[in-house]
Amino acid sequence: MASYRNPQLRDKLAAEYVIGTLRGRARARFQALLRYDPELQRIVAGWEARLTPLALAAGEIAPPARLWQALARRIAGSGRSASVGRGLAFWRGLAVTSTAFVLILATFIGVAPRPEPPMAMVAVMNDDEGRPALVVSWPPMKAVRDPYVRIKVMQEHPVMAPGTTWEMWMLPGGEEAPVSMGLITTDVDQTMKLRPALASRMDGAWGVAMSVEPKGGSPTGAPTGPVIFKGQCVKIL
Amino acid sequence: MNRPPPDALAERLAALLAQAAIKNQRAFADLYELTAAKLFGVALRILRRQDWAEEVLQECYVSIWNHAGDYAVQKSAPLTWMTSIVRNRSLDWLRRPQLEATGEEYDIAAEAWQDESPGPLERLAASSEAAALARCLQELDAKQRQSIMLAFFHGLSHSELASHMKQPLGTVKTWVRRGLERLKLCLGEAA
Repeated sequence: MASYRNPQLRDKLAAEYVIGTLRGRARARFQALLRYDPELQRIVAGWEARLTPLALAAGEIAPPARLWQALARRIAGSGRSASVGRGLAFWRGLAVTSTAFVLILATFIGVAPRPEPPMAMVAVMNDDEGRPALVVSWPPMKAVRDPYVRIKVMQEHPVMAPGTTWEMWMLPGGEEAPVSMGLITTDVDQTMKLRPALASRMDGAWGVAMSVEPKGGSPTGAPTGPVIFKGQCVKIL
Repeated sequence: MNRPPPDALAERLAALLAQAAIKNQRAFADLYELTAAKLFGVALRILRRQDWAEEVLQECYVSIWNHAGDYAVQKSAPLTWMTSIVRNRSLDWLRRPQLEATGEEYDIAAEAWQDESPGPLERLAASSEAAALARCLQELDAKQRQSIMLAFFHGLSHSELASHMKQPLGTVKTWVRRGLERLKLCLGEAA
């Protein structure tokens, strides 16, 4: 993977990714790298900005009306009145996983023969394609001596870009800012200990999110890097 | 129809995306209205089949609806963000292992920027924000320009470019690479 650090190669790969000549496994590998590498994302964005006018200069072609009709059916029902607070727009972008699916996962997690209390809440964190990436669950905080959350990685092993780390955030809902929960490791099954002050707030959590941060975590106490996974909390106990 | 100038359009699209993020369907319909023909053109040129382009475009707009909240104004212009989603999905579609050419694909030659074809370049030069790009493309060697445009507009891979332009693979790769390097240099000077 060392070669991916060569700045000239990174620029060349980004350019070929954007014009589309990067194909097959090379393209898939580049996309995997891109997801967690904010600097590479900036290089790609630079090429997109350079070349997009070209894509649009080819001229417009109106799609058939059936396309909008199909689309309108698909988004109907997920709508909301336009008056909801704007500050939260960013977090509201998250896709809500169906309750049925969460319950299936919950059974799957709860049934595991472990000497621990049943989980009280679960959040499925989806990637930007809407596929479950991580499942976070926690017991009733009053029932445990040392508060923790359990994290299961559902997809391939996390690849963290050099010099970066992944930080998990509790989203309290309403107008409140995200609260850092801590940094995750690359283990597929891990537990994260919580500060007592945070533990008492977990029962009321609205959602959780994961952002890419510099080594050591966010320097500001708020997410600074790209948010790669998000999920809404569901009470299961 | 009265179209707002480019900067006003970017502002309007950013505002509509912000509304779509809070699930305002009306704003999303306006967003579709303002962008669908542009993005359908982008998808159709890469995929070269009406049915595929419709399917991919529908998925792209669902994705834009679901992820409008992730759009960050400071990182890219709204239309650039949306175009990249459509281009990447279209290119990923062409990569599907089960994909088979059926002969229903449009012929690339039908829309010839074969050599010196001025069509898209003239349109580029006409829009002020893209004038620099048009000028820089004109400064490339004809072969470099042609290979970049074929790859970019029609999603041709290196090997498809080689057979389309009847040149060895290595030659075509070099044209693309050198062309991109010169383009970046030229645009850097323009900025």
